[in-house]
Amino acid sequence: MIVTPTTTDGAALDVDVLPVMPGLAALYAKGAASSGRLAAGRAIPGRGAEDSPALTLPTVAHEVDGLATAGLRSHLRDYQRLLHEPGSELLPSGYLHVLAFPLATSVMVRGDYPLPLIGTVHVANDASLLRPVALGDVLDVRAWAERLRPHRRGVQLDVVAEIRTGGELAWRGVSTYLSRGYALPEPRPDDATAPDAAAPVVEDRAPEGTWAPPLPTGRWVLPAGTGRAYGAISGDRNPIHLSAMAAKAFGFPRAIAHGMYTAARALAEVGPARGETYRWTVTFGKPVLLPGTVDVAITQEDAGFAYTAWHAGRRQRHFRGEVTPL
Amino acid sequence: MAARSSTPAKGSPLRDAVVIGGNRIPFARAGKAYADASNQDLLTAALEGLVARFGLQGEVLGEVVGGAVLKHSRDFNLVRECVLGSSLSPATPAYDMQQACATGLEAAIAITNKIKLGQADSGVAVGTDTISDAPIAVSDGLRRALLEASHAKTLQARLRAFAKLRPADLKPAAPGIDEPRTGLSMGEHQAVTTARWGITREAQDEIAYRSHTNLARTWDEGFFDDLVTPFRGLTRDDNLRPDTSLEKLGTLKPVFGKSLGPGEATMTAGNSTPLTDGASAVLLGTREWAAEHDLPVLARFVDAETAGVDFVHGRDGLLLAPAHAVPRLLARNGLTLADIDFFEIHEAFASTVLTTLAAWEDADYCRDELGLDGPLGTVDRDKINVNGSSLATGHPFAATGGRIIATAAKLVAQRAAETGKPARALISVCAAGGLGATALLESA
Repeated sequence: MIVTPTTTDGAALDVDVLPVMPGLAALYAKGAASSGRLAAGRAIPGRGAEDSPALTLPTVAHEVDGLATAGLRSHLRDYQRLLHEPGSELLPSGYLHVLAFPLATSVMVRGDYPLPLIGTVHVANDASLLRPVALGDVLDVRAWAERLRPHRRGVQLDVVAEIRTGGELAWRGVSTYLSRGYALPEPRPDDATAPDAAAPVVEDRAPEGTWAPPLPTGRWVLPAGTGRAYGAISGDRNPIHLSAMAAKAFGFPRAIAHGMYTAARALAEVGPARGETYRWTVTFGKPVLLPGTVDVAITQEDAGFAYTAWHAGRRQRHFRGEVTPL
Repeated sequence: MAARSSTPAKGSPLRDAVVIGGNRIPFARAGKAYADASNQDLLTAALEGLVARFGLQGEVLGEVVGGAVLKHSRDFNLVRECVLGSSLSPATPAYDMQQACATGLEAAIAITNKIKLGQADSGVAVGTDTISDAPIAVSDGLRRALLEASHAKTLQARLRAFAKLRPADLKPAAPGIDEPRTGLSMGEHQAVTTARWGITREAQDEIAYRSHTNLARTWDEGFFDDLVTPFRGLTRDDNLRPDTSLEKLGTLKPVFGKSLGPGEATMTAGNSTPLTDGASAVLLGTREWAAEHDLPVLARFVDAETAGVDFVHGRDGLLLAPAHAVPRLLARNGLTLADIDFFEIHEAFASTVLTTLAAWEDADYCRDELGLDGPLGTVDRDKINVNGSSLATGHPFAATGGRIIATAAKLVAQRAAETGKPARALISVCAAGGLGATALLESA
């Protein structure tokens, strides 16, 4: 790649070019091991989060160049069927997220990455499809972590992934993660005005049953195997998505749906009105337990579409976001 | 081939298409009287009853058109098969079509257009549906595996196809009545529309009560004597509750919209139409064809209009498309609501009728969604579904259009005979997919 990578804030990044796209299974094994190491480091008696050494993100971007998509026809078809996407040759934004996800994960299991992969929660995603990407296009993919910042329940950071075709930026995805129990020693003064701090978290913290959902436009009946089905296609076989027993080990009553499955399904159901290029955002709330029924409202707004999904019986919001044609 | 018109109409560019008569079998609740009957059985019975009623044995008709909504893939030529199984001449052509609950009415629109153009002199619009004998299919996963295996050249490839199967794939797939794009059932969609328009439980129960009492009176008066042929021991629609009351309807628990919030669940099994088995047929033709065959003419099939609404993202209600079609139909024919003597508004749910009426009375909706200058107007409640409708008869999807056309045609014929003045009926049928078909009949 010709473009020298910088973070959103303009800081220069080194580039670590990987020969091939890493496999998620091996990354998870590595992530689990380093999570254990990081947890052990924090478990020393008398050392609370406040006493932790300063957290810093690696200033390096991972890159895989020349990723061919021509052989992905049946994989794309399986994705389209599962997510209710039309059988187009154009790759939906959610599918590009799936393609870039192993590289993004590889950044989070680096030895110098300061936070454990296990226990990290995906709280929001913001992806822009700037140029149509078609089956057969050759992709240059790059990912890095940035903007480590305080959060009332820990620390937040963004993992950014970019996909270029023909040297031009075609897709950019920003995944925001929360690691609980960590703290930054000295919060930067501008954090109070950062976009994340301004997000309406109060609304999402409303006590159970007090939030009044809108009239639904749709209903998803998600079978127990939803997590396994998306796991098989995305490679994201995090045990909390695969079986109730595994999920219980992590404190969930049942398996939970992949957040990106639910957001990508909402994106699909916006339909052709999203156009060929669009921005697609999501903020996650209460996880969707499987099997489960989710009520959704996908409505046209001035600039594009807004969507909200909730548990009808408990009146809890699962997620919400927007799809805006670009 | 007397039925085939070879000369185009002279003078007026279009000929009159008229309703000669109709025949249906009584509609039956799911799993009851017609539990063992197939769509072909039901439709053949309705068609054969029509043939007997109008002496059409051995006759070559211009066309028999219609279909079923819940249809097995083997029934690709359902209507043609029913023609071949009837006493009509096998030289009568036929084709299948489907527009969900508007199938029967759309079939009549298709035939009358050919009649008006001079492409046919006669035809029968038909529709049938059975929920009792609904097709059950294999899951998509099993279907794909079976197809892939059947295309495979080697045993290995065949095994590979089946290796992808999951236990859940072995579960059969029952036909859904959920909207494919939203996952909401028709009842849940209508519950949202009902809540948005603020339609009360009491108003819905009143519609249901009138439907049952009107239908019971109509049966007692013998109105259906020349419109219905008994089938499998059934002589009346078995969904009819002649002894129902507002008190009884008021005791039923809501079945739709239960997750919409307190007070919003107003749709019950009493004010929603049950899934039903049945079939209907309507004989259509030119005045000349009717005269040649010594048959009466009930009404002129004047005009029709269809509409679709953007319901997927909640801009409009799933079943409100007829509210869009009717103003266009009236305007094209230089009519207003006040010119209509009978309104036949298909009661998919009681609240479908009420939201349609509310839409026509709402200035903002009429301006923003229908493109009108002001409200379309108010409909006199005593002109609506005067002989009962789907809440009482039940609603075998594709058969409903034929039931309504025959009733409306006979109503305007009777009114014109009584008053010596022309009478008009407006038919409105909502359908899945945000569709609606409407038609205008006038005494012949």
